[in-house]
Amino acid sequence: MKRLRATFLILPAATLIFLFVVLPYVTVLVMSFRAPADGQPYGEGFSLAGYAQFFNEGYYAWSLPQSLVLGILTTFVCLILGYPVALHIAKASKRWRGLLYGIVLSPLLIGIVIRSYGWTILLGNSGVINSTLRQFGLIERPLPLMYNNFGVVLALAHVFLPFMVLPLLSALQSMDPALGQAARSLGAKPFTIFRRITFPVSMPGVQTGCILVFVLAISSYVTPALVGGMRVKTTTLLVIDALIDQFQWPFGSAMALILAVSAGLIVLIFARLTAMKWN
Amino acid sequence: MTEVSLRSLVKRYGKTEALKGISLHVRHGEFVSLLGPSGCGKSTTLKCIAGFEEVSGGQILFDERDISRKLPEDRDIGMVFQSYALFPHMTVAQNLAFGLEMRRVPKVEIAERIARAMDMVQLSAHAERYPKALSGGQQQRVALARALVIEPAILLLDEPLANLDAKLRDEMRGFIRDLQKRVGITTLYVTHDQGEAMTMSDRVVVMFDGQIAQAASPEEIYDHPTSERVARFVGNANILDLAVSPRGDGQLDLVLPGGHLLRVERPACGAGGGMRVMARPEQIALTEPAAGQIGGRVAKRYFSGRHVEYHVETDVGPVVVVAPTTHAVREGEAVGLRFDPQRLWPVPSAEAPAEGRE
Repeated sequence: MKRLRATFLILPAATLIFLFVVLPYVTVLVMSFRAPADGQPYGEGFSLAGYAQFFNEGYYAWSLPQSLVLGILTTFVCLILGYPVALHIAKASKRWRGLLYGIVLSPLLIGIVIRSYGWTILLGNSGVINSTLRQFGLIERPLPLMYNNFGVVLALAHVFLPFMVLPLLSALQSMDPALGQAARSLGAKPFTIFRRITFPVSMPGVQTGCILVFVLAISSYVTPALVGGMRVKTTTLLVIDALIDQFQWPFGSAMALILAVSAGLIVLIFARLTAMKWN
Repeated sequence: MTEVSLRSLVKRYGKTEALKGISLHVRHGEFVSLLGPSGCGKSTTLKCIAGFEEVSGGQILFDERDISRKLPEDRDIGMVFQSYALFPHMTVAQNLAFGLEMRRVPKVEIAERIARAMDMVQLSAHAERYPKALSGGQQQRVALARALVIEPAILLLDEPLANLDAKLRDEMRGFIRDLQKRVGITTLYVTHDQGEAMTMSDRVVVMFDGQIAQAASPEEIYDHPTSERVARFVGNANILDLAVSPRGDGQLDLVLPGGHLLRVERPACGAGGGMRVMARPEQIALTEPAAGQIGGRVAKRYFSGRHVEYHVETDVGPVVVVAPTTHAVREGEAVGLRFDPQRLWPVPSAEAPAEGRE
């Protein structure tokens, strides 16, 4: 009876997941094996043409490492920037914690298009930073702040930082404060405590945060499109291009799947490498 | 050989004084408990000794060396926490090795010392387990071994048994005490449980409101408390309002309502001011109404298996008597009470509100 009721309760969620996750994925999988055609989204019968095109043409193939590198760099930057923030908030008094929490979450309150556009105003060749530097005669040509990995990673890190900080914070807050004291009583200096106790114990948060940011970064479209200006060619950009502009559904689906599987593999490897026997 | 001296230790948080001048000397190898209700300053005292709290005034000496300005990691202390604070991502062996690695002990020696320490706490079979896989009592023993394996100058224990269930707590009391005696390490033990403090310690330090109320052997604290508050906090106590008149020969006369006169030793403390008289429940004898020094009526009777507790209404107020189960007195019956003058103890009457019995 109890089990029956539980099954009944997950039915709505299960239905949603089936309709909007499983079914579309199956559709995309089938579509990726469809034959290409001219003048219509896809043709008769099945073929591997989509996959072949991706790996044979460097223009497309190179987008995959580009996407993955972008995802890894963004994750790394978020971790480096987010850890001290999380550490600080975890140690802050209750009164401050709420305010700091709000500040961390604030990027999420503004739409992603507006935020990315904001970065183009700052980073562009005639943007705020470059024109100011030029006015003071510090540079002659504009610094390459945009239309490259630097700009895109910067903007992505800004957008996804909260997704790193929140899991880190929850891991650090659930840590017994006596652990640090115990380590000190055993003779450890503060940096040793961080390296050997705090960081390893917060590993579940690091893992969650990294996976979240990586998955979000790799599947992002708006920020690479606006800040990268089509010069940072990620697979997501090419997928949209193939689906909407070239009207080639099998090719677009194949690329989408290749990206999803590659990202999935990296997440799997990362999870393996950071597995915690103790948890 | 390490002796610990606290000299007028003061700790202030903003304007509130958590410690108002604590002075205490702990001899080498002595087991001293800091006992008191929550907020009395016992944990703060321990944190000051460990170095987790900076002292606002006074000194902490280890063997005449002032260590009150030293960092915790340089104080050479072993500490056991209420939460055990075992490193969750390290095995039992790695937990034990941590302190030795910090001291740059050679690998071979680390292995030897860990093996000995684990043997000492009977956990050799669990060396490669993670703390999560151990029971509360086992975790407690790992924490003890981790604190002792570095062979610190002193051992500090902060309510280490508070998270264990009652039966295990009783076992661990004996275990910790035996281990401490075997190792012979100077030990400070913080607890709010008077039973724990009494059974384990060489000396009990009772603290109230950031001050030491009394520091003495468990027997002395129990039989000869220096204040009503100590009497009530340690064990159960009947505090009676009796007419007290001092005599010239250092004794006191107590006059009971029925006219009986009891002559008792006069305590050194509390010469002036009002005196009340403490009588421990098990030191009062229940008799036939006629044979008692005072009479009363049994209001409540609680049978606990080991003994029976009677709440008796008397002319000097309610009196609790603990008697062997061989007595068969029913509720509502008239009884007599006999006091042993040797065991009655005058205490200065408390101005402050009395502590609840614990």
